Amino acid sequence: MSNVLLSVRGLSKNFGGLAAVQSVDMDLQEGVVTALAGPNGAGKTTIFNLMTGNLVASAGDVLLHGKSIIGKKPHRIAQMGIARSFQDLRLFTHMSVRDNVLVAVEPESWFWQPGGKAAWHKRLETVEKALERTGLSAMADKRAVDLSYAETKFLSLARILATGSKIWLLDEPASGLDLNSRNRFINILREATADGVTICLIEHNLDVMTQLADRIAFLDQGKKLAEDVPEKVLRDPELIAIYFGKSQSGN
Amino acid sequence: MINYILNLLTLATIYSIAAASLNVLVGYAGIFSIAHAIFFGLGAYAGAQFALLIVPDVLLASLIGAVVSGALSLLLALPALRVRGEYFVAAGLGLQMVGITIFSEAHSLTGGHGGLVGIPAATLFGFDVSSPGAFLIVCLVALLLSLAVIQILMRSSFGRALMSIRDNESAAESFGKNVPLLKTLAMVVGCAIVGVAGTLFAFNLAFINVESFTLEQSILMLAMVVIGGVGTLSGPLIGAVFLLILPAILTFIPFIPPTEIGTVQQFIYGSLMAVLMIFKPSGIAGKTGGK
Amino acid sequence: MLFLQLLASGIQTGILYALTAAGFALIFGATKIFHVAHGATFVIAGYAFYECIQLGMWWPWATLVSFVMAILAGILMAVFIYRPIQRSEGSFFTVFVAAFGVSIAVQSLIQYFFGRGSVTVSSSLTMASEVIEGLYLAPILAVAIGVSIVLFGLVVLFLEKKNAGLGLRALSENPGLLEAFGLNAKNLTVLAFVIGSALVVPAAILTSISIGIQPSSGSKVMLISLAATIVGGIGSLKGAALAGLFLGIIENLVITVVDTQWSEAVSFFILFAFIMFRPSGLFGASVKR
Repeated sequence: MSNVLLSVRGLSKNFGGLAAVQSVDMDLQEGVVTALAGPNGAGKTTIFNLMTGNLVASAGDVLLHGKSIIGKKPHRIAQMGIARSFQDLRLFTHMSVRDNVLVAVEPESWFWQPGGKAAWHKRLETVEKALERTGLSAMADKRAVDLSYAETKFLSLARILATGSKIWLLDEPASGLDLNSRNRFINILREATADGVTICLIEHNLDVMTQLADRIAFLDQGKKLAEDVPEKVLRDPELIAIYFGKSQSGN
Repeated sequence: MINYILNLLTLATIYSIAAASLNVLVGYAGIFSIAHAIFFGLGAYAGAQFALLIVPDVLLASLIGAVVSGALSLLLALPALRVRGEYFVAAGLGLQMVGITIFSEAHSLTGGHGGLVGIPAATLFGFDVSSPGAFLIVCLVALLLSLAVIQILMRSSFGRALMSIRDNESAAESFGKNVPLLKTLAMVVGCAIVGVAGTLFAFNLAFINVESFTLEQSILMLAMVVIGGVGTLSGPLIGAVFLLILPAILTFIPFIPPTEIGTVQQFIYGSLMAVLMIFKPSGIAGKTGGK
Repeated sequence: MLFLQLLASGIQTGILYALTAAGFALIFGATKIFHVAHGATFVIAGYAFYECIQLGMWWPWATLVSFVMAILAGILMAVFIYRPIQRSEGSFFTVFVAAFGVSIAVQSLIQYFFGRGSVTVSSSLTMASEVIEGLYLAPILAVAIGVSIVLFGLVVLFLEKKNAGLGLRALSENPGLLEAFGLNAKNLTVLAFVIGSALVVPAAILTSISIGIQPSSGSKVMLISLAATIVGGIGSLKGAALAGLFLGIIENLVITVVDTQWSEAVSFFILFAFIMFRPSGLFGASVKR
């Protein structure tokens, strides 16, 4: 049983009368890919926001390496080792590809970073490595706003890679990618898990889930209905009914 | 004639410093400040008082101007930078209006409506630098130094952090950026630099009063930055020069009565701002972008 | 008696603020456009009325012209300034700067043709008579109260009953819902500007009759509308109107304790306080950081 890096216990969030997340328990283990599945509005992104500190839980706890991080500010939580991507990417549009990634490895919110020249070179190296892994080295000087769709998805991943964080929360990271790019993407994620990273993935694409996920947590209306290996979850007729029923009438 | 040109150039230089400093806020950090003239004024009053009461050394007075303006910017920054853009703009407008009232009423500090008169000639390490030519050189040096500081800062990790906040605040936060702290630092830097410009302005005119620090002035500075091009080094300079030369050019157009030149100038840059935002939001010097 | 007198003038000022603030709040609430050129609509309406009266028009016609000009201004801005910007980039910055540019351009245009000073339309409505000892009131106060009650009533009815009204409320919260009901976001945006700009007209006319109007009145009005919208709570029309009324009353009453030059500053102190301690305002939805 490998280390649990991030866990939530009895996590709940209410907005006025609406219970967006209801008493969710989940463990994110080192080297394991956990997919969050479920129809739109099930509370998946809300759970991410609760983990990153962008929302404060109404009840329950979020534990990073066993210690509660409820109430900590999002930027502190990011510095503590949780990296998060967004469904709408939120790249730094007018900055270059390289700068987008460089920003991710400069944690100090001050006029300068610690460590002097040696640390600076190390940071540059980390950036170059991340760009290589994601195949973006050739366009390092291009502005983020000038990239193709696939390139933007990889840039979003490169930023995460560069942080060196061991906990990745990815919101539909590979959506809309063609098959080749998607496989390339999945490989990068696999290699990361081999290095001990735990990935929590919000995904709608069944293929991606089967290829990548070690575990799938199925959510509906804020509650976790099931969590198990993909084979079991994806064959459960009740869950399939909920998923496809909602997905069709939903958006 | 030559003095007229020297004076115009000096003013252009001073306003270039002011525009460049506002660009740090608006163009690099994405902080929409509509109260910049107040900080210009704080620098002017502080520097002028220093010159009147202690010694009219332009270097020391400018430093005082920078410190006063930078420190007082915390008053606006600390509370207001925690809220959304629209609220910050409203707070800035509020500060601008309240600031003018305070400038007009604080007789002991600002001379009230009458302002501060008889600001002594500028000296530097004991040498008189108040002649039009000499003072222009002093201002140009100040401009170069300001631009150097801005360039160094904006090329550093601090500059990248600011730009990331400007481009996408929530993402910047998710990568560890302490957004309120960074915005506050940007505000202090920008206001300190405009404080220097204010002091130079006071020396140049030998007289300052509240009329030079009104909302109109804040808007003019904003127009310089926007029209010249945000987020670039040359943009604010282009904007400053263009908007200062504009009234001079307008005097040569026959059918505009001299009393209306200011009004026509305003009409021109008001329309330019609106039109540019539709067709080229990055301004004259800016790069044309994608979405 | 000074208190009552100031209260009366405060109510009058407050009503005018409430109308303009409601217009701004309606536009911002529905379209999320920070329409800082709202003040420009105000001066256009005011000067249109003034000029018509100068040309000898009968006042109801002048009022009509004023309405037409204001609504036209609002529509032109919505279609030719805001819409193209929102199509291409639409960041808060570009919209704001463009709106600012427009308001400066309009102000300077009016200043060029009418001069910097204040102009007034003389009217018997402003003749005050002593109602009780020490308290002088003019009929214009009654007109202001009457007009605003009628207008607010109409607007509220419209927003709650008619389809388009409901559409306006949905526009900002749930645009997807609109298509389901056969409504068009573009048209609704224009409608918001029409109503919002129309609300400004009585305020502009009454101002030109009472204290007079000048080119810079637009920015003053804009600031107050902004302050009232925030204090009242972004998203709440009722809040903006009430806050406008409140700010007008305070601005006048405060003269009993401080010098007149501080009376405007007091409104901004209040704005500041709200931004710092209660950004959601009096009635607004709670604001996320």
